[in-house]
Amino acid sequence: MEILIQQLFNGLTIGSVYALVALGLTLVYGILHIPNFAHGALYMMGGYVTLTMMTKFGLHYWIAIFVSIIVVGLIGVLMERLVFHPLREAPPIHDKIAAIGILLFLEAFAQKIWGADYQSMPTPYESVVQIFGLTITMQRLLIVIAAIVVMILLYLFLKKTYTGATIIAMSQNREGANLVGVNTNKVAMLTFMISGGLAAIASSLSAPINLVFPGMGQLVILKAFVIIILGGMGSIPGAIVGGYILGFSESLGATYISNDYKDIIAFVLLVIILTVKPTGLFSKGGH
Amino acid sequence: MKRMKSLFIMCFIFVMIFSLAACNSTSDKTASTKPASNGGGSKSGDVGTVNIGYTGPLSGPAAFYGKRTLNGISMAADEINSAGGFEVGGKKYKLNIVSLDDKYLPNEAGANAKRLMQENKTPIIFTPHSGGVFALQVFNQQDKFIIGAYTSEPKVSDVGNKLTVRIPPRYDGYLKPFTDYAMDKFGKKIAFLPTASQYGKDWSAKLKPYWEKQGGKVVYNSSIDFAKETDFFTIVTNALKEKPDVLFIGGASEPTAKVAKQARELGFKGGFIIMDQAKLDEMKKITGGYDALNGAIGVMPLVDSDEAAVPEYVKNYKAKYNEDPGSEAGLNYIGMYAFVEAMKAAGSVDDVEKIRANMQKGLDNLPDKAKVYNIPKIGEDGGFESKLVVAAVENGKIVPIQVK
Repeated sequence: MEILIQQLFNGLTIGSVYALVALGLTLVYGILHIPNFAHGALYMMGGYVTLTMMTKFGLHYWIAIFVSIIVVGLIGVLMERLVFHPLREAPPIHDKIAAIGILLFLEAFAQKIWGADYQSMPTPYESVVQIFGLTITMQRLLIVIAAIVVMILLYLFLKKTYTGATIIAMSQNREGANLVGVNTNKVAMLTFMISGGLAAIASSLSAPINLVFPGMGQLVILKAFVIIILGGMGSIPGAIVGGYILGFSESLGATYISNDYKDIIAFVLLVIILTVKPTGLFSKGGH
Repeated sequence: MKRMKSLFIMCFIFVMIFSLAACNSTSDKTASTKPASNGGGSKSGDVGTVNIGYTGPLSGPAAFYGKRTLNGISMAADEINSAGGFEVGGKKYKLNIVSLDDKYLPNEAGANAKRLMQENKTPIIFTPHSGGVFALQVFNQQDKFIIGAYTSEPKVSDVGNKLTVRIPPRYDGYLKPFTDYAMDKFGKKIAFLPTASQYGKDWSAKLKPYWEKQGGKVVYNSSIDFAKETDFFTIVTNALKEKPDVLFIGGASEPTAKVAKQARELGFKGGFIIMDQAKLDEMKKITGGYDALNGAIGVMPLVDSDEAAVPEYVKNYKAKYNEDPGSEAGLNYIGMYAFVEAMKAAGSVDDVEKIRANMQKGLDNLPDKAKVYNIPKIGEDGGFESKLVVAAVENGKIVPIQVK
């Protein structure tokens, strides 16, 4: 029983990280229909920026995360302006190639600036708490809570504010949104900004339980793609639910079936879900 | 028009990528050719150059490891060159290290070695991974070059390749001291959580029968893919569920340290057997002190070694590369010196069979400053037979363990 609860908590932790990354990915996909392969690189940049702010400038963890959100958000905007915007009329394959190009560029860039070695991010929340035989570190608790808070904020932003509504409008129908006076350029930039910010939050939260290194984005990006396919491309609830499904299936699968096959379990799950609902769990009828 | 524009962007990206790559290789080149050009300036007529090849991971996730091995070789070469080079058969020679990136891939290592032979005629090619060594062993006897193999994989010296020199001690030598110590101090139940690389699996395959022969039991046998796992809590929880007395962990030092740390967070009180790839001193930086690693047994960190040459070496290395040297740097450093001494003894810089035959003399004639490890002898199989230096962490301190 203790093991089950412990593994549920572990799944919740990792699922929260996955969901945050997948959210950024699905937002961009929903609005611009670009599979942003470079999203993992944004995640990695987020880790490095937070780490640099903490070690070089001595900023507090939260302030460092805030700076990181802004910086990575701006990198996202820059990406949209310099690469994806000029490609908006090009065949879709160009976007994909360009995204891979950005991924390679950012990884090489990080290695040039910060070096190739593993770095450890300190956290003010090192302490370990034991409740009913359940082992929780404060950092993990923080990941779970912060992820939920971020999701609620994102939901409120999209549903309750005018700017958020323009993003939804554009994901539903780009031309229609344009016709009723939504500035699609602005919305595209804003989406990339939020997407980058989400990546920065995810990596800054999860980096203390792992390490910061140029290839860290690859840990999550493949899984994030699985999640958004599973949840329905472009669907926000899909990304959240998909993230937790994958997190739980990994931790419980590793415990009760086999650790060596836990990736297969996730993919079998994907196959089953896509067999029953080929467009993903929460796909919209439109696309 | 749009198409032109997108084409332009693509070109731009590629130019960026290539220019970045170019930056990389030029900086490597200048670093490696500097010593030779210095030599050319002083006495250009009668100073020869010996090119030494290196193929290893200089980009990608293992780049830091490749860099450290290369640092060891370059440092030895720089020292030899700044002392005026070395004399073979009445002629002065200087060393020139030619380094190529193989991204940790055996096939790239093979291609690099071919290129090094054709363009630079390198009598010796260093490579720091077993896959690369195997790839090079396919043709090194025909193409006539010695492999400076930095890998503790016993198979590289078991295949009977006459021109392979294995620099580190073979890892199966560690099985007995590690097992004895861990069983004695903690108990007979062990859980396996090494890295998922081929090397980690080979280690597990050797350790398992040995541990069982000593009356121990393997209660959990899995591995962690450091390139895929974001969090190790799940797998460590599962391993600890079986109540092991000892954890076998290993891989690159930093993620290995995270595994150890998370095991402690989850309440693990037993000992660790640490695979030789991970270094205790590098792990300490991640765990924030040796206390979390109490009861761990692994390879003695170079900085804590009591060899006479070590303090001076550590000081020089730190001044040059701004970090503590590990065994990657230290062993390759000795390796480079041993090859130079062997060339002197052989009286040739390009007759590789003769150089290989004189490796023992090369080790005998090592200058005192190069003896950062005690390597008395090279075996018939081409492996350096060094004294194993093993250390354990007790009460937050490194304690040397005598290997019988």
